[in-house]
Formats: sequence, C-alpha cells, structure tokens
Amino acid sequence: MRRLRSAGVLGSVLVLALAMSACGKSTKAGGTATVLFGTAPDSLDPGMAYTTQALEPDQTAYIPMLTYAHVAGTAGGKLIPGLATALPTISADGKTYTMTMRHGLVFSNGRPVKASNFTYAVERALKIPWGGSSFITDNVVGSEAFASGSAKSISGITADDATGQITIKLKAPYGAFDNVLAFPSFAPVPKGTPFKNEPTNPPPGVGPYKITNIVPNVSYQVVRNPYWAKEAIPGIPSGSLNTINAKISSNTTANALAVLGNSADVFDFADTIPPSILAQVPSRASGRYEKVIKNSTYYFFMNTKTKPFSSELARRAVIVGLDRNAIARLGSGFFTPACHLLPPGIIGHPTGPCPYGDPTKPELAKAQALVKESGMAGTPVTVWGEMRSPRRQFVDYYTSFLNQIGFKATEKIIADATYFPTIGNLKLNPQTGFADWNEDFPNPIDFYGILIAGDAILPTNNQNFSQVNDPVINAKVNTLGSLYKVPTSSLSSVASQWQALDEYTSKKAYTAVFGYASFPKLASNRLDFSAAVLHTVFGWDWLTFKLK
Amino acid sequence: MVIDSGTSATGTEFSSGIPTELLGEARERASGLGPYQLAWWRLRRNRAALAFGAVFLLVLVLCLLAPVYAHDIAHTGPNDNHITQTVKVGGKLEDVVNSIGLPIGPTWHSRFFLGADTNGRDVAVRLLYGGRNSLEVGIVATLITMVLATIVGVVAGYSGGLLDGLLTRALDVIWAYPVVILGVALGAILAVSGIDVGFVKLKGSSLMVPAVVIGIVYVPYVAKPVRGQVLGLREREFIEAARVQGQGTLRIMFSELLPNVGSTVIVFVPLMLANAVLLEAGLSYLGAGVQPPNPSWGTMIADGISSIPAAIHLVLVPGIMLVLAVLSINVFGDGVRDALDPRAKIRIGR
Repeated sequence: MRRLRSAGVLGSVLVLALAMSACGKSTKAGGTATVLFGTAPDSLDPGMAYTTQALEPDQTAYIPMLTYAHVAGTAGGKLIPGLATALPTISADGKTYTMTMRHGLVFSNGRPVKASNFTYAVERALKIPWGGSSFITDNVVGSEAFASGSAKSISGITADDATGQITIKLKAPYGAFDNVLAFPSFAPVPKGTPFKNEPTNPPPGVGPYKITNIVPNVSYQVVRNPYWAKEAIPGIPSGSLNTINAKISSNTTANALAVLGNSADVFDFADTIPPSILAQVPSRASGRYEKVIKNSTYYFFMNTKTKPFSSELARRAVIVGLDRNAIARLGSGFFTPACHLLPPGIIGHPTGPCPYGDPTKPELAKAQALVKESGMAGTPVTVWGEMRSPRRQFVDYYTSFLNQIGFKATEKIIADATYFPTIGNLKLNPQTGFADWNEDFPNPIDFYGILIAGDAILPTNNQNFSQVNDPVINAKVNTLGSLYKVPTSSLSSVASQWQALDEYTSKKAYTAVFGYASFPKLASNRLDFSAAVLHTVFGWDWLTFKLK
Repeated sequence: MVIDSGTSATGTEFSSGIPTELLGEARERASGLGPYQLAWWRLRRNRAALAFGAVFLLVLVLCLLAPVYAHDIAHTGPNDNHITQTVKVGGKLEDVVNSIGLPIGPTWHSRFFLGADTNGRDVAVRLLYGGRNSLEVGIVATLITMVLATIVGVVAGYSGGLLDGLLTRALDVIWAYPVVILGVALGAILAVSGIDVGFVKLKGSSLMVPAVVIGIVYVPYVAKPVRGQVLGLREREFIEAARVQGQGTLRIMFSELLPNVGSTVIVFVPLMLANAVLLEAGLSYLGAGVQPPNPSWGTMIADGISSIPAAIHLVLVPGIMLVLAVLSINVFGDGVRDALDPRAKIRIGR
C-alpha cells in the first residue's frame, strides 16, 4: 500500500497505472466496496447485536477492551489487547480481573473515552438486554442485582477514570471470562447513551469506522471514523476502504450471482450458495472463492431422558448407521464428516479415531441390530427440524434413516425463528432433532458449558437438548469443575484433559455429531482476496478489505 | 337468447341457456326430463368440460395408483432417500445426488423417471403421492366447506333475527381476512400443536390439519350465497304451505330448503375443489400445509425453488401437474355450473 503511494509521487499517473496493472498483487487504499447479506442484522447497536450479520460491521466501529488477532485460521482465535493496554491480570484465585484503558482514545463523536465508559457499556447491555448478558450475570459480582433493578450499579466492576484501571470481580473463577471481554457488546459507549436498543442510530464507538445511513432491513454504510487514532492500537488494522456499503436481500442466488459478476464485492459467508450455481463458482470465481472452516459443530441431539434414546444402544445405533457422506452432499459439500463435539479449531479436539468406526463408512446392518438389541425397535420418534435449507433436508434424511434402522419416526418442522426457543423448552421434552453450535469464542467451555454440562439444563432456552447430566462430565465442566476455571490463555496446558473428555462424550453417544461446517469465502475480483480474512470469530473481517 | 325451462316439482328453478338454433331439439329432448337429468343432458353437450373432466379423472386415477407405481415400477417409497446411491443411465453409473448436492435429472427409465430431488427421492413417485395428498386435502377440505357452509347458510337464512346476525357476523370476520394469510396463520399454529377439540384429535403432521384449515377459511364463500338463496326461498309459497301443514323448522330446512339449494351447492363443489387444491399448494409452499417429509405439489415446488437454475424439473413437474389439475377442475366446474344454472356467474376467491 505504501509502496504504491510512493510510486504515485515519484512517477506519472500513467506509470502508476501501468505498474498497478502489471503487478497483480498490488492494492490501493481508499475506495468503496459492497457487501451483500441474505439476512438483516438483528441490530447494529452493539448493546443488542448478537448475529454475525451485526457483529461484522460492529467489529469495525466498536473495539472492545480485548479483541482477536486479525489473521486467518486458528491463529485468529488468539486474544490481543483492544482498548486495554494489555491482557488482564488475573488474581491467583481466578476471581479478579484487572486491566487498564488506553489513554488518548476518543469516540467517533470526538468525546474522550474514560474507563467508566466500559462499565456503562456493560450496564447498558444488561439493561437492553443483550442476548448474551448471562455471560455477565452468571459471573460478575452484583450484576444480577443490577440487571433485576435492585442495585444502581454493578458492584463487581470498578473503574478509575484518572488511571484508566478497571477491576472486575467474579463470583467464581470462569476461565473464558477474557473471551467475554472481547464481545463488541461490551465495547465502551458514551455515558448518556439510552439504555435501549438503537438499531437505526447506534451510539458512537471507538474504531476505524462508524456506521451510518441505516435503512432497516435494506442497507447501511460503514464510513471512516475521523477521530480514529491511526495505528494507535497495535494489531488492529485501520482499514483500507473509505466506505463499505452493506445491502440486504433475501435472494441469496442473486447475491451470489452479483458477486460472481463483480457488481458487488462480498458474499455473506453465513449464506448458502445454492447448489444450482455452486457448480459454476470455482470456474467463474477462480482465485476469489474458497471454503473456510470455522469452529462449529452440527449434530442431531438425542434426548437421554426419554425413550428411545435413554438407551445408550439406541444412541449408538444412530451414530453407527448415520450416513455422513449423504449429509455432506445435502450440505452442498460444505460439511466435513465428523463424530466429536469439539471441532478441530478448538483446543481439546480429539486427534484419535471415532469410537464407533469411520464416520464416512456407515454400517446400516449394525445399526439395525443395535436397535433390536436395545429393545427400542418400533418406538415412535418425533424428529424436530428447522424450515430453512439445507437443515430441513438434513432432517428429512435423518427421519428416513431412523425409519430404516427400526424406529417409527415422523417429522415436526417449525419456523426458523422459533425453532431453538421451542425445542429449548424443557416441558416439550423433544426426543431428537437438528442442532448446531457456532462458537461464541474459541474455548471448549463455550461448547461444553452450554451444550453438555448438567447445570446447563434449563427450563427455557435450554441448549443441552440431549439433557446430558453425566457426573464425569459435570466434574470437569460445570461451575465447580476444574476445566471450567482454566483461563483461555492457559488452555493448551489442559488440552489432553479436554481431549479425553471429548472422547468420553463421543463414546457415550450423547449427540450424533455429523460434521463440521465450512463456509463460502467469495469475493469480487476488485477485492484483494488473499488479504481479506474470513475470521474464525468475526466472520468477514472488514478491516482487512482492500481493493486491488 | 335463453328460454326458461320452467319450475321443477320441488320448486328449483333452472334456465337452460340453449342457443335458439338448438331450441327445437332442446324442447324435444328436455320434455319430461327432471332438473338434474336436464343438467346432465346439457353437460354432455359441453365437450370442453367433458374433456377437462376426463383429464382430471386421469390425474386422479394416476395419483391413486401411486403405491402401485412406487412398489412395482420405481421400487422406492416417496420418502426413501437415495442420496449416496448411483443409477445406471445410458449404460453408465451416475450419482443420484452429486457431491455438491445437485440431483439427477429425468432418466426416462423406471427408476428416477422424472429425476430425483435434493434428498435423492424419486420425483415421479413423490409427484403421484404428492398429488394424492393434494387431492385428498382438497377433497376433504371441500367436503368440510360444503357441509359447514350449507348448514350455516340454511340455518342463518331461514332463522333470521339474532341467530342470523350472529352467524353472518362470524362469517364476516372470517371473510375479512385474506384466505392465504388466515390459512398460513392457522396452518402454522396447528402444524405444531395439532388439533385437540373434543373427539377431534389430529397430530400436527396429519393431512387432515390443512384440510380442516382450508375447509374452514372457505366457509363464508359458500355460506353467504346459500344464505342469500334461502332468504328468498323462505318467503315462497311452498315453504308457507309446509309451515301451515305443521312441519317443524328442522324438517322444513331438511326436506324443503336443502333440495332447493342443492344445485347451488353442487355448482360450488368443483370450484371449491380447485381453490382448495390451489390453497393447499400455497400453504404447503409456505410451510403451513402438508408437513414434510410427506410430499404435496406445493412442498415439491418449495423444495425445488433453490435449484431452479440447474434442476428446473423439480419445480416444473409439480407445477405442471398443479396447473393441469386445477385447470381441469375449473373448466369442468364451469361446465357443471352452466349445466345447472346457465345464468349464474359464480367466482371464488379474491
């Protein structure tokens, strides 16, 4: 980038143009790019935003106290200081986090940033309330009282505006708390920002860009923040583009074709490229399309508290006979067949083989025999699923498969928006169905603490759909468990313990994991594809976008 | 130019609509025929209606033979997935669904004659089973509509007063909602919870759920014209005569009014059937009708939408069948209407 500018000063415009065209890898600063989304963000207000469509733009405008390295692959899961001067220091008992706000920061409205703006952002997120507020209320002293209205402030957070020091006291050690501090929802916002969701007028933040011109469900713009102190924060790019236009259209086929045809620049990774045009993508988008694996696990939950999956043999039958290759095809080849709950990018992912054989070689006869042996043959099973493609197709296949191995399965497909709240209602006691988990942060506790731990079984919004309450697992991962307390920075020291635990979970056949998803990284030929990062946590990292 | 064919013994009025050039023949043939015989005579002369009636019959028979086709020709069920299997086409093996999820097109052989869908299911088998489901829902819905609408229309029209007011307002409430929106709302709720009202217990996945929903939302469209006809009939002499003879209200409704609204009800049957099949397809397309994995023409179109650029047969095949079925019912229905009451101008839907 700098080299090009120098050339512009030294040479003529013609020479510059020739140089640029001759050098395919040259990029230029400035310019505008267009990002297409099939789904609108839940809210662009960081106090409410929780979907990838919202967090992508918010990462450019609301830098949190901690953030992630702006690099591709698993290295992108590494925490780095954001607005904090360094990663927090953690007390010996793991219950006190201390960090310091950088000096000289200003919001995008020009007002100075103080340490207490962090506290204010946390309070605001709890009051709105943000979808992940339990990360705070479950852990920070006094936060529940504040959220319920019985306290005027969060007693467990103190901020000194003079020194910039922030101290957070936890009720009990929670190893992933530094990951919690990396959510843009807890990025500082000015005091006085209303304690309500402001989707069309999000508050000022600290970041290279700010979000403006919001037309709900249609479009918005991300433009440069004039107050961003360039390169003031190591590791956080200032961004190359002047403007990023985001457009929302539910026609993902048209979106993909627009990017293929270079009339738009970025296809939302969370959207599916329809199989009907997928065949032409590799040839039409050579050098600007690839599949990127992100940390996610796709599985069928099997309710261990009710027939037929209260029987371990019945659960094993599913795992043994499930044709993961078939599911990979239904997912247009965007799934890697698998059997373990923890995906490869998460510390603790087992390196050993699957306990019930190669997941790409289903054994239907063995599965049928196991169902007979379990005594559950002919048991009626209701399979729950979502409407959207290819998830419904997964469930269609799964239902057909369950009937093949001896159950009497029928489907119940419900609207996407109500699916997880519905099956998360414990009263419904769903027997089996589709589920997935995409990391909130790269830490195994994000999977186990929510999907498998006994104390994660909740009356509503339950995510432990299999209702696993295994003492062996609980001893490691619930609020009193040993692995629960290990800080993210020390995870590698307990990798083998996590591996052993995940192997144990696979052996107990609690969930029928069928694969890890990869996502389409598709951009126009205007964009520098190699520089643009499809980040493991952020999704598309807009700060890495550059025009060729 | 039309001539009046007179008034039947039961008081039902018909007009023939026979062109003047056929007047002599009509007079000759019509003499001594009852109203329904006369209608049948008229219908037989309407070749377009008969041809489309035959088309509908053909579609119906094909759909009823779905299990035979599935078992003896295609050797697969409507919900059997063959995602990772191969099929021999032109001497070489081809994936039923390829590695990026694209299904095979029509093979023109017994297996996958019309190709496969994204789950590797035989489209021809699903098309016939889907037709069975669509027509079953349509026929049951039409029955529900006709029975409920006739009862409500006759009771409201004959009773008058408060009961008429209440029933008419209830019909107005249903009428006030566009049928698709009302159908989607009811269908989406009932598809999850099912129906559990007294002795009526239906699972959410039951085909009877969309049938009940469609049957109910169309009641006003038939009940109102029936009520209107009954309002006129109740002032007629033969009703007065029945009252004077001491007949009770129920008997008058059943034996005097019902036969007189019969032709109106019959005229509505094919029109309602066509609309019910269409609405079923619409609701299933939107996920509020027939529940997966059961096929219906609507769900098949919905499943195929995302594959249009590369596998257009997934949408075309059920689409053509839907058009054929609805068109044939409509044209045949028009013929029936012309035969029963050539002056009537009945249209459903808005």
